Amino acid sequence: MHTRGAVLVANIIAGLALGYTVANIGFGDYAELNRMFTFQDLRMLLAFAGAVVIIVVVFALVGVRRIPGRIHAGVIPGAVLFGTGWAISGGCPAIPITQVASGYLPALVTIAGIITGIRLCGWANARYFHLDRGSCGL
Amino acid sequence: MSNYWPWWAGAIGLALATINYTLTTGRSLGVSSAWDRVLHWRAERRRERLDAQFIDERALANALAAATAEQFGTRPAAPTPDAAPGDAQAHGQNGGPTAGESAPVPTLRPAPLVTQAALLLSIFLGGWVAAVTAGRFELRFDMGDGFRELVTDNPAVMIGVLFVGGVLVGFGTRLAGGCSSGHGLSGCGRLRPVSILATAVFFGAAVLMSFLLWKVI
Repeated sequence: MHTRGAVLVANIIAGLALGYTVANIGFGDYAELNRMFTFQDLRMLLAFAGAVVIIVVVFALVGVRRIPGRIHAGVIPGAVLFGTGWAISGGCPAIPITQVASGYLPALVTIAGIITGIRLCGWANARYFHLDRGSCGL
Repeated sequence: MSNYWPWWAGAIGLALATINYTLTTGRSLGVSSAWDRVLHWRAERRRERLDAQFIDERALANALAAATAEQFGTRPAAPTPDAAPGDAQAHGQNGGPTAGESAPVPTLRPAPLVTQAALLLSIFLGGWVAAVTAGRFELRFDMGDGFRELVTDNPAVMIGVLFVGGVLVGFGTRLAGGCSSGHGLSGCGRLRPVSILATAVFFGAAVLMSFLLWKVI
């Protein structure tokens, strides 16, 4: 099941499902997002937390193996920057894609920012931080 | 905005996407990492070529060993498919920064580059289908009423805020090694301490910033 073709199909299915779900939950809607982060509306929060609970249970039942992950010096500062950026721009790395797909053209600027940020991080890490990054998606 | 899904439907949708991906590929779903790899496609292509070459060379070495063994009537020293330590080490080196020093689990190679590009395109397509079928699709040059009320109604300032926010998201997710899908869904789903910590911190930061935008700014 781990051939190139199978992985490609799995990625296409995951992308379609993720884009469709994220857009239908309303993560691309800035007002909804702010209401989630200020606990005025728990709907999206419960969707996310509920998903984590289902995943934990299913992974435990199926016996998905753990991946080792080290808590390195970049985790906390990186997460602070990401959370702040998410709250002000309304975009985690998948959301601006669905925003553009829903017609919000300024989200292209968010995407340009994300691309710049990723490149900046690669450059800064090679030059200054020298951290072991990489955990997401391996 | 009542035509969004109820929370349980969203939970099932997000969980299905993540679980299906992990069970079929043996990998974790991560959007920020997909972005990272697609953006560094030149280096990724080089690495994939090296990897392929490495596999070819290993196959050649195996064939030579087998031929030698046949010639001299001896058994090859070590049956290669089980040569896990060298294998894991080589992938670790090629795979760039991985966290496995003496990892008990052999490291799986990252998903091929083209599949990561397909993931990003499919997210676009999925989002588009959702918007059109729900009657929410509308080409517009603003980010909606919520953004206008909470952040700014000045188009130039909006562009600046979105760009700076995007830079923070891109920089932050790569520094932390994951985003809401990689750390939040896949990582927390596997109960990885690093992912739980990252999720708590990015969520906390977002809550703080959102309260500032709502109440103060």
